Amino acid sequence: MNELFPLLSFLVFPGGIFVLASGLVYEWTDRKLVARMQNRIGPRWFQPLADVVKLLAKEEVVPAGVNRSMFLAFPVVALAAALTAALYVPMAGFSPSFSFRGDLIVTVYLLSLLTLCIGLAGANTADRFSIIGATRTLTQLFSYEAPFLLALLGPAIVAGTWQISEIAGYAHNHWLILTQPIGFVVAIIGLMGKLELPPFDAPEAETEIVSGALTEYSGRGLALFRIGKDAELVIGLTLVAAFYLGGLSNPLEFLLKTGGLLLVVAGLQSLFARLRIDQVVGLWWRVGALLALLQLLVLVVLQGMGI
Amino acid sequence: MIQNPKPQKFIVPIGPQHPALKEPGHFEFTVDGEIVTSVAIRLGYVHRGIEKAAEERNYVQDLYLLERVCGICSHIHATAYALGVEKLAGITVPPRAQAIRELVAELERVHSHLLWLGVAAHEAGFDTLFMYSWRDRETVMDILERLSGNRVNYSANVLGGVKFNVDAAQADAIRRGMDFLEERTHHYYNIVTAEETFLRRTRGVGTMSADQAEALGTLGPTARASGVQRDLRIDSPYAAYTEFPVQIVTASAGDLEARFVVHVNELFESYRVIRVILDNFPPGEIEVRMPRRIPEGETISRVEAPRGELFYFIKSNGTDQPERIKIRTPSLSNWASVSATAPGHKLADMPMILVGIDPCFSCSDRSVSILPHDRQSKLWTWEDLRQYGIEYYR
Amino acid sequence: MMDTETALAQGSNVVAPWTVVTQTPEQGRLDVVVRPTDLLPAVRALTEAHWGYLSAITGLDVPGAGQPTPEEKQWERLDGVPEHAGTVPMGGFEVLYHFCHGAAVLTLRVRLPRTQAAVVSICSVIPTATVFERELIEMLGIEVTETPNSDHLLLPDDWPSGVYPLRKEFHAPDAGSAAGEQGGSHQ
Repeated sequence: MNELFPLLSFLVFPGGIFVLASGLVYEWTDRKLVARMQNRIGPRWFQPLADVVKLLAKEEVVPAGVNRSMFLAFPVVALAAALTAALYVPMAGFSPSFSFRGDLIVTVYLLSLLTLCIGLAGANTADRFSIIGATRTLTQLFSYEAPFLLALLGPAIVAGTWQISEIAGYAHNHWLILTQPIGFVVAIIGLMGKLELPPFDAPEAETEIVSGALTEYSGRGLALFRIGKDAELVIGLTLVAAFYLGGLSNPLEFLLKTGGLLLVVAGLQSLFARLRIDQVVGLWWRVGALLALLQLLVLVVLQGMGI
Repeated sequence: MIQNPKPQKFIVPIGPQHPALKEPGHFEFTVDGEIVTSVAIRLGYVHRGIEKAAEERNYVQDLYLLERVCGICSHIHATAYALGVEKLAGITVPPRAQAIRELVAELERVHSHLLWLGVAAHEAGFDTLFMYSWRDRETVMDILERLSGNRVNYSANVLGGVKFNVDAAQADAIRRGMDFLEERTHHYYNIVTAEETFLRRTRGVGTMSADQAEALGTLGPTARASGVQRDLRIDSPYAAYTEFPVQIVTASAGDLEARFVVHVNELFESYRVIRVILDNFPPGEIEVRMPRRIPEGETISRVEAPRGELFYFIKSNGTDQPERIKIRTPSLSNWASVSATAPGHKLADMPMILVGIDPCFSCSDRSVSILPHDRQSKLWTWEDLRQYGIEYYR
Repeated sequence: MMDTETALAQGSNVVAPWTVVTQTPEQGRLDVVVRPTDLLPAVRALTEAHWGYLSAITGLDVPGAGQPTPEEKQWERLDGVPEHAGTVPMGGFEVLYHFCHGAAVLTLRVRLPRTQAAVVSICSVIPTATVFERELIEMLGIEVTETPNSDHLLLPDDWPSGVYPLRKEFHAPDAGSAAGEQGGSHQ
């Protein structure tokens, strides 16, 4: 294999430009859907792109009292992690560019890195809103991460592998949403928690703490974090669709299945009031984690019995 | 990171510019983790000097000035003032004018309560309810515009009566609007009493017992949600409230949920009384002549604004300018309940508790303000502004 | 709820020990003049009797007419301070504590000479009066002793000290008076 291929796949497809572009499209779809459900008109199709361009053109203010290099590095690391994660998932219905045994764990880790970066970025500044936002971001990270992982482990166990491409291949013949409904629900809600979408947007609850951990970010840093989140939205949807919705074998299937998931996510966003951070933690550990664990237990027992 | 040599109080400022507050006020919440331990309040950011300005204008000019104390409850301020001045002058206002005053006051209550519903839902992060209630609020705004030509400062009052009549076509439009809103309000009632995530944010939050509410001097829907029977429309009927009485709406729990329930039930009560007024409009004149000079005296005029009791103290000195006008708005009295109920709650509940009393910052910040001379900036005097206005509209 | 007249009669009884003069300016109202020193006990009695709630505190600047009015002639008697006798024609302040009970309004009126504009805080009895007292201090320059917080409530932090906007001698700067100049020239 020549040296160009990894670079191309990182920069153009499935990572890089493709993820960024689809991220913006998915962000617009999400915003538009939520707006329509709230009886608003919503943004025009190029709005997310315009936002990013505008932010990139703006001055990046580095506030007093921060570690400057860390302040500048966090957004880059976050976006890089999200882009790398795109290499291991079946983007647009094609098989992943890279694949090895255990890449599921690496992908989940890479996806968490973004949230971790946001949390640390908030903790890095001296702003009170940022610090509270960072605390909440990290608290939320610890609460949804375990159930989310458990929810992704379900398909892995029935497929008998930790390799995303193989799980997706197994899922192609089995609609796991039917056999593991709890896992699906936990995964989709976990994804919303990961992306801090309402009702799990306590870490950036504007009515309390302005913009949470990212309050002090402006210009390029903010733009990178935002694209990173968009990328994570696409990757997360892809992962859940591939695992639970009968796999992704071509671009059309990818579009339909992730689009359908996005519709569900948008619906959930407009249905509920924001949960307080203590309620989020309670919900995840008392309900989410227990249910996911229960499902896993059933799966392991059934597997052991050879069914 | 900044070094903190000794443990300090961690203070979260909310305001004067903050996404949670659409108007300026400054609150300092001292927090221990997520738990709030104390609150300090500072007002005055939209302080315009209305009480002082009122002393330097004549009674007719003051009517328009006082209507601008608050953009949301503009009518009720003008009503309180007009009722007070009419009392001082010994004028009896025709019944039809009083009925129109009550009609507009209730329409204003509808728009104010729907506004509050949306804002409070937004603070809870429930933007869907926010968008829907504000969309429906347009119905009543359109009705007010159709009646008076204005959406916000309707200028319904003049001293000695009201400015516009209500004809049959307008009455029909109001009835249609009320029918639509009533149907929508049933829907909102279901949401605020049954929607699970929303109840998690409102039930048991900011609870105030009846005794506490009584002791804190709480007013309006905030007090009634705690079971305090306090509504001037019933206790001390003014305008046409003796002919077209309203029922008091109370709840007993005293938490945010109860305040939502009281606000929504008051909407139903307003729809009902608006229909009754329209069906039994007293015929006749809508205005009587007022003297320009008001005889010497003092009066207190109290009315029930959407947010609670509005208190006007008017002292006249026999000239065409009042000697003193004291305005005590309901929001000012209700701030105390925020400081009292906030400690012990989570920071995330603060916007809800703040908004739970339906605060109106412009109302709280009335009275005096003179811009200090700044050598760089040009100071606009009242006369300059008047000239500018005349030039602008010429 | 009891009717207004009964409520007023009851309220009047409660504050009777401190009453100097009572007036009924209009229906449903009763004004009770008390001495500044008797204010706190009267307020405490009303609160303990659960008579209504403190609705507002109004401060009035009463300019002197040059000639003492018949009412003003009583001022020395009202506040019981002999030195105040001579200050009467200069006018003074009145602080009105409005208590509301249903439709009834009972007003405790306290009269203060200009030279000694001080009144005791009632926050020890009614803690929520603090916002009204803060307003009274900054707007009229009436000293409220023992009030828990005398910071500005409404006026800007850089408002010049000693300038009280609701006093009659104060005029908006464009009115061009001395007080207005004073208000602007603090820098």
